[in-house]
Amino acid sequence: MIETFHIGLYAAALCIIIAFFSFIKESDDLHRLILTDLAAIMALFLIALVGTDLAEALILPGLVVAISKLMALSEVYIMKEGIRHNKENSVLDIEVLKSAPAILAAILVIYGIILSGFPGGAVAGVGIIFYLICKGHKERFELIETASGYAWVGWMLAFFIMIIIPSQWFLAMMLAGGAILLKVTAKLSLIGTMRGDNNV
Amino acid sequence: MNVEFIIGIGLIILGTVATAWPSPKTYITRLINLEIPAFGLLIIMLSFDETIALLTFIAVTVITTFVFVRVIGKKEGSG
Repeated sequence: MIETFHIGLYAAALCIIIAFFSFIKESDDLHRLILTDLAAIMALFLIALVGTDLAEALILPGLVVAISKLMALSEVYIMKEGIRHNKENSVLDIEVLKSAPAILAAILVIYGIILSGFPGGAVAGVGIIFYLICKGHKERFELIETASGYAWVGWMLAFFIMIIIPSQWFLAMMLAGGAILLKVTAKLSLIGTMRGDNNV
Repeated sequence: MNVEFIIGIGLIILGTVATAWPSPKTYITRLINLEIPAFGLLIIMLSFDETIALLTFIAVTVITTFVFVRVIGKKEGSG
C-alpha cells in the first residue's frame, strides 16, 4: 500500500512538473484556461492516491469548487475579450442537441433518482441540463428556488430526527438522501438555463 | 499495485504530455487530449474503489466540456 502510494506520488510529481512548464510557456489565455483544468485533474489525482473514504470526502467538494472556478474564469475571459454581444446565440447549435430525443434526459433523471444522494442529484441534474439545452427553457427560477428551499428544510429535519429520535435512523437517512438529491439537481439545472443570450 | 493502477498512471502521464504539447496547437485538440488524463484519473479512482467520486467526476466532466465548448465557440466565432 505504501509502495503504491509512493509510485503514485512520483508519477504525480512528474505530471505536475510537465503541466507547470507548459503553463509557463503558454501565452494565450484560453489555452491557459484549458491547462487550468489539467491542473485540477492533477490535484484530484493527488487526493485520490490516499485511497480511503477520506479521499472521496475530499474529492467531492474539490469537484464542485473546480466547476464553479471554471465557470467564473470563463465568464471573466469572455468579458475581457469583449466577445459577449457581437454574436447571435448560435453557440451550442449542435445538430445532435436538436435531434436527440428527450428520453435520454428522462433515463438520466430516473437513474439519478435510483442512485439517490449526492451522485444521484448530479446525474439527475445532468439529465435536466441536457433537456434544457435540447428544448430551450422558460426561466422559472422561483420554482427551482422553492424546491431547493424545501430540500434544505428536509435535510435539516433529517438531522433533527437523527439526533432526537435515533431509532428512526432509516427514515432520517432516506429523507436526507432525497433532500440532497433535490438540492444538487436544482443547483445543476441552473447551469442548463444559462443558454439564453442575456445570462452568460 | 494492481493492473488498473498501472494503466491509470500510464494514461495520466501520457495524457499530460499530450495536453501540454498538443500536435496541431488548437483549442479543440487540447480539449480532446484533456480527456486522456481524465480517463486515467477515472481508472485510478476505479482501482481504489472510490465509486461516488468516480460518478461525480463523470457528471462534472460533462459540464466542464459544455463550458469549454461554449467558450471556444464564442472565441472562434468572434474571429
